[in-house]
Parts: sequence; structure tokens; C-alpha cells
Amino acid sequence: MKTTILVISLVLSNLLWAQSPYQKGMTKAFELWGQNKTTQAAQLFERISTVETDNWLPPFYAAQVLIIDAFSAEDKAVMAELLKQAEGFLQTAQSLSPNNPEIMVAQSQLLTAWIVYDSDQYGMKNSMKVTEIYKKAMALAPENPRVVLGNAEWNIGSAKFFKKDVTPYCSEVQRAIDLFATFKPEGEFYPSGGKERALEVLKVNCEK
Amino acid sequence: MTKLIFLVQATILALSTSLLAQQQITGTVTDRTGTPIFGANVYLEGTYDGASTNETGGFLFETSETGVKTLVISFITYETLRYEAAVTTMNGLSLQLREDVNTLDAVTVSAGTFEAGDNSKVSVLNPLDVVTTASALGDFVGALQTLPGTTTVAEDGRLFVRGGSADETQIFIDGIRVFAPYTPTTNNIPTRGRYSPFLFDGITFSTGGYAAEYGEALSSVLLLNTVDEPDQEKTDISIMSVGLGLGNTQKWERSSLSVNASYINLAPYIALIPDRNNWQQPYQGFSGEAVYRFNTENGLLKAYAAFDHSEFELTQPSIDMPEGVRFALNNSNFYTNSSWSQRLQNKWKLFVGGSYTYTRNKIGILSNQIENGDHSAHVKATLQKSLNSRWKVQLGAEQFLTEFSERFASEAVRLDYGFSNPITATFAETDYRFSKRLAVNFGLRGSYYGSSNLWRVSPRVATALKLGEKGQVSAAFGTFYQQPTQEVLKFASEVAPRQANHYILNYQYVKNNRILRAEVFRKTYQNLITYTTEEPQPNIGYSNSGEGYAQGLDLFWRDEASIKNLDYWVSYSYLDSERRFENYPIQAQPSFANTHNLSVVGKYWVDSWKSQLGMSYQYASGRPYTNPNEPGWLQERTKDFHGLSLNWAYLLSPQKILYVSVNNVLGIQNINGYEYASSPNAAGVFDRRAVRPAADQFFFVGFFWTLSEDGTDNQLDNL
Repeated sequence: MKTTILVISLVLSNLLWAQSPYQKGMTKAFELWGQNKTTQAAQLFERISTVETDNWLPPFYAAQVLIIDAFSAEDKAVMAELLKQAEGFLQTAQSLSPNNPEIMVAQSQLLTAWIVYDSDQYGMKNSMKVTEIYKKAMALAPENPRVVLGNAEWNIGSAKFFKKDVTPYCSEVQRAIDLFATFKPEGEFYPSGGKERALEVLKVNCEK
Repeated sequence: MTKLIFLVQATILALSTSLLAQQQITGTVTDRTGTPIFGANVYLEGTYDGASTNETGGFLFETSETGVKTLVISFITYETLRYEAAVTTMNGLSLQLREDVNTLDAVTVSAGTFEAGDNSKVSVLNPLDVVTTASALGDFVGALQTLPGTTTVAEDGRLFVRGGSADETQIFIDGIRVFAPYTPTTNNIPTRGRYSPFLFDGITFSTGGYAAEYGEALSSVLLLNTVDEPDQEKTDISIMSVGLGLGNTQKWERSSLSVNASYINLAPYIALIPDRNNWQQPYQGFSGEAVYRFNTENGLLKAYAAFDHSEFELTQPSIDMPEGVRFALNNSNFYTNSSWSQRLQNKWKLFVGGSYTYTRNKIGILSNQIENGDHSAHVKATLQKSLNSRWKVQLGAEQFLTEFSERFASEAVRLDYGFSNPITATFAETDYRFSKRLAVNFGLRGSYYGSSNLWRVSPRVATALKLGEKGQVSAAFGTFYQQPTQEVLKFASEVAPRQANHYILNYQYVKNNRILRAEVFRKTYQNLITYTTEEPQPNIGYSNSGEGYAQGLDLFWRDEASIKNLDYWVSYSYLDSERRFENYPIQAQPSFANTHNLSVVGKYWVDSWKSQLGMSYQYASGRPYTNPNEPGWLQERTKDFHGLSLNWAYLLSPQKILYVSVNNVLGIQNINGYEYASSPNAAGVFDRRAVRPAADQFFFVGFFWTLSEDGTDNQLDNL
């Protein structure tokens, strides 16, 4: 009897320990991303998104991987294709979760990537859009460290272009770093990173 | 005991795993030529089971799925393949992907068409270029005149394309015809486009061979698309040496409204720098425009309205009248344009739009008074469907209607006349892409002309073939009909429409922000309007017996990459054109066509000065004129035209721009033509007067200030 209970409880706990396919998939995808296997990571996120049709995270990460990959693409044609693909995933993510500040940050990155792709064509137009998106994101989530950091980074970039002082934005970068320390993701696999980036931005622009 | 538990647990684990029998799925993915595709995403739809292909296109993964499932294979620049079969049979599969024909590097039909704007795959000019071109003075039409295929007719200002007169070019806003696109003016004072350039984010300029959707244009169409959604709320203030401007944009969740108003008064400028005319009342004009946009789930509504009023009075020199010719004009123009586009089910797309224009002119010439009113409307509906990713069809119908009335009054006579000009047209088009390299577009347009009770059918064909990664050839043929101009219709509404045929062969090479285009063309004209007096008049013989041709070569080179911060383009056009129309006794090169046109435009950004320096040089070989002292018609040529313009845009701060420009810096004395006396002098010679621009040079100073919450937007694109 005792044994039976033990066995049953063990089986149950085994089931409890066992990750759901979603968790397994996401963990695997992050692992691939960590190993710099970006194509495979993006594709796994894409596959997950075709199953988890009401979860914004898989398409969001698929886009995120592609956008970061695009920035380092040497061939402009490849870069454009990656960005186009990322655009599609972000749209999916956005339709599942409108007014999501994390998606807005990714959108700003995508628009910035297009500026890098062709500044003559996209510079003016996308700059305005990015500014607008950060304005909206800051209103929605003034305490989200990635929003604060993205906004500050964007302002630093603009100030540099016009040869203005960047120090007013350094306090925002510092605030982002402080916010990273206390930030609690809303759930499993929710975005939580970015602190290293913030430290880097602070070092490059603010510590002289 | 512990051992036992582990054993049991292990068994259960093994059991639970083996219950989900694993099935291996293997195969290779190649393109149509058998080349392996590396990195394709292969997975069972609706599951997490999948893999990426390796260097040899191979893939292998395991699944516990059973039964019939769909295997999805996707890879960028290829069409996604869906393969449905029993999971157990998915072994050693050999799968071929078809290339996606709609990728960025796919072929586009480029014969005759220049795209300007960011909605195009290959932009020749972007919106910023349109308004920072030195010679253009903020007029989008002026910027287009630096493209090949256009003729420099400095005293007019409108677009003259490939030997065609200005009325042969039609302008459309959001697919709907604009009936009065230019500001009113008089002899020898160049006109400008009526519409503010920063309302548009896409400009397509076609110098021939355009699609069946566009009719009533013999030579060229200019398609302007208004901004779908403005980027942010802002207020723009412009203070210029010639007037003031104010603009404001408001955004809401689903809609937005932009309004602009401007007031132009040339009196202070002319007082400071007098020109060759004697102005009793220098030009002054007020214009206001508003665009409202509303987004729904699957549709977009745009409503645009513009009103402008302008007036001036001047005395211009004339050879026949030493005291000069008085000309006074008072013009009011109202234009509205609304369109609705909606995505329907099954990849259908519906577009419905319409425009209405009311123009009223009061013109005084010498002691004669002319008053006219023109009500024009255009209504259009199209249905578009993508049958698949390669095949698109479009059907449409449209109706044009113009009601024109005019009164001519002098001391001796008073005449009233007018016309009604209804035109009904339907069109069908189909786009087919055989591959990423070959695309074909067929179109057919049928028009019914109410005033002459005639039917006309025009076929159009265009095709493009990509030669390699960077180069492509494109060809187009088409038949085009156009109703005669208002000047003729008001006295002879029954004349038949004019006809032109276009044959175009284009080569385009695009590489890393450098673009080369070369285009040869031939255009033939039939049924041009002829009459017997110098100007159209009532009760004279009008007929459709005129004809002509235009042929030549257009070259365009733009390079934004070779020198840092420098962007330049060079356009050259060779044109051979003759025609017999209006009152021409013989076939001759018309006065608005010349043989060689060259434009060089450069823009250089100086980072340390926070300035953009621009230059634009235009050369045009002499244009024909008739010298009545010699036998012949349009037998002589004016001297060549040269113009060098410079501009300087200085960013005082992100939101404040100072802009200075000078047209014809070198002060070259250009001659647009000659006016001969109507009767010979005592020695039997017709005296003449050179028609010179009203002013050789033009100076412009402007200060542009943008107020927006974030403080980075500016009016660079408003210059």
C-alpha cells in the first residue's frame, strides 16, 4: 500500500517535473540562441508560434533573433530579407498583444535596423516613427527597464547626430540599470535581459 | 525499497515514453535546379517537431505524431511548401521549393516608370530629394524636371514629356484625377504644382507605357500617393521671403487630420528686386488644404480637400503694343478627393474613389473680359484579386465629367459658349510572374466619349526580364487616347480623341545605391487636332488630321555611394520629334521640344556645418521658333539654355532650419523665344522682341520651424 502510494506520487511528481512541450521548446530555442545558432533558434521560435497561436512570446522572440542577426549581416540583401521576416513576426506578436511595451522596443529596433540598411530612404521617416513609439511606450511602461534604456539610447543617438550634450540622458541609462535590478518578469520566458547592454551604453557614452 | 521505487519509476518512464512511438522523418530540400537549400525550416504543422536543413539540404527529426499530417518547409526568398501525407511515409523525401517571386530583388516592370518614394522597390528619387533639389524651389514638378524624358520649357513650368505638350501629362492623387494641378499664371511666368510636396510619400512618374488603369493621357502620368498615416502630431511654421505657411497634424487612435495654410505675396520681393513686368498688383495667393484619414480593421478612408485663391494684375511687354499688354487674373479653385480601400475576403481588394473640382477664372486681357467656370468630376472603382502569389488581376470602371462654360466680353461682342465632356471607361489588367526573373503585365482599356459619341479601345503590354543579380531589361507597348484640350472642346466638342502609340525598351542596372537606366523609345501620334487660325476660335474648321512622332534615348545615372556624404544624379535626354497639329502648315519640331536636355543635381552634407549644400545645373539645346522674315515654319532655334542653381539648408537646431537658394547664380541671359510683330515695318521686315524670363535670377530665404513634443522632427522634407 505504502509502495503504491509512493509510486503514484512519484509518477505524479514526475509528470509535474516534466516540462510541457512549450517549456521544452522555449528552453531549447534559448539554448540554440545562446549557442549563436540564430537560424535554428528563430526557426524553433517560429515552429512554437505555429502551435501556440495565442501566445505573443514565440513570434516576439523569432523577430528579436532575426533583428539582432540582421544588424550583423554583411550582405545588404540578406539583411533586408531578415528584417522583412522579422516584420512579419512582430506583426503577429502585436496582433496577439496590442500596446505591449516589449514589442514596441523590438519595433523601434526593427525601424532602426532599416535606417542602418538605407539611411537616405528610411532615416527621416523611421526616426519620427521610433520617437513616436518610444513616446507611447514610455507612457505605457515608464518603469520598464528596456523601454527606459531604449528611449535613452535613441536620444543619445539623436543628440550625437546633432552634436549635442548626451549627459542629460545618462541619468536615464542609470535609472534603467537600477530598474533592471528590481524588475520582475511577468511570467516564464518573459523578457528580462538587457542589463549588460545598459552598462555598455553607460560606459561608452557617459563615463569619460 | 529505494531500489524498487527507482525501478518502478524507470519502468513507468520507459513505458510512458514508448507509448509515444517515435517516427523518423527524413529528406532533402532543394530548389528547382536541384541545388541544396541550407537552413530551411522543416516541421510538422501544429507541432514542435522539426529541424533545419544542413549544408546538403538534408533534414532528420523524430515525431510521435501519427496519421496524415502536413509537413511545412519554409525558407526566405522561397515560397513556403506544404506537403501532406501519412507521417509513416515521410521518409527519404525529396522536396523542391519554388522561389518567391515577390521578394525585394525580384524583377519589376520598369519601362517608362520612375518611382520616387519609399513604397517602391527601386526608388529613383526619394521624397526628400523631391524637395531639396536646388532648382525646384520646393515644387515637386520642378524636381521631376531633372529626370530624363522631360524638356526644359523654362517659361512654362509644367511637365513636357518626350515631345508631348503639357496637357498630355495627367496627374493623379491616390489614383484619382486632378483636373487643375498647376497654379494659374500667364505668359512667360512659370507655374508651380498646386499641392504641397510633403503630403505625398509616394510619387510615380511614368514617361510612357503606363498601365490600362490610367487613361486620358497621351504622353505621361504622374501618380501621387498621400501619406497613409502621419508619424506624429506637430505644428510647422514657415516664414519665407515670399510668404508664410502654417501646418498642423493631429493624431487619434484610428484617425488623423493634417491641415496646412499658406499665404504668398510677391509684392515685397518685387519692390526689392523689380523684374521685367510692370506689376499693378503683384501675385498674391492664399491656399488651404486638409487631409483626414480613418483606419478600420481592413480598410482605409482618405478625404482630401484644398481651396486656393490667387490674383494678380500686370502689364507685360509686347512688340505690337509699346504700352504693353495688360493681364489680370482672379482664380479660385476648390478640389476634393476621397477614397476608400478595403481588403475583402479571399484576397479581393476593393477601391472606390472620387474627385470634384470647381475652378473659376476672371481674366482681363487688354480691355477684354473673360469669365469661366469649370465643374469636373471623376469617379472610379476597382476590384483587385491575387489569384496566387504569381498572378494578380484588376478590373475597374470610371467616369469623368466636365461641364465648362465661358463668357467672352469686349466692347464690341459678347459670346457665351461651353461644353460638356462625359467620358466612361472600363479597364482590366493582369500581372503574371513566371519567375523571379520574368514578369508580364497585360491590360485593356475601353473608353466611350460622350461628346463625340465614339468608342476607343487601347491595349497595353509590359514585360520585364532580369538578366542577372543587378541588371534587367523591360519593354512596353501601348495605345493611348486623350480628349482634345479645353481650348478646342469649347469651340468644337465633337472632335475625336487624339491617339498615341508608345514603344519602349529599357535597361536598368542597380547596385549598392547606384542606379543606371537607359531607355529608347518611339511614340507615334495620330488624330491630333488641327485648325486654321493662330489660336482656337469659334466657327473655324477643326479636324483630326494632325499627326507626328517622337523618338529618342533617355539616360539616368545616380550615385549615392562613391563619395561619402555626396549624392548626385545626371540625366540626359536625346529627343527627335516632329508633328503637324494646331495651325502648323507642315510637320515640324514643335516649340516645346528640343533635341538635347541635360540635368546634373548634387547634394552634399557637411557634418561640421550641419548643412546640406545643393546644386543643380540644367542645359537645354535651343527650341524652335518661326522667323516670318525667312521662308519656313519653326525653322530657327533659340540659343541654348543654361541654368545653375545653388541652395543651402542649415540646421540651426533639430527643429529649426534656415534655407537659402539662388536660381541662375551665374545670371545667364536665357532666351525662351521670340515674339515677332504681327505686321512688317516700313522696310518690310518683321521686328522681333526676345522673350526673356521675367527675372533672370530668383532668390529665396526661408525659416522653417517645427514644434512637436519630442523635439526631433523637422521640416527638412518641406524644403
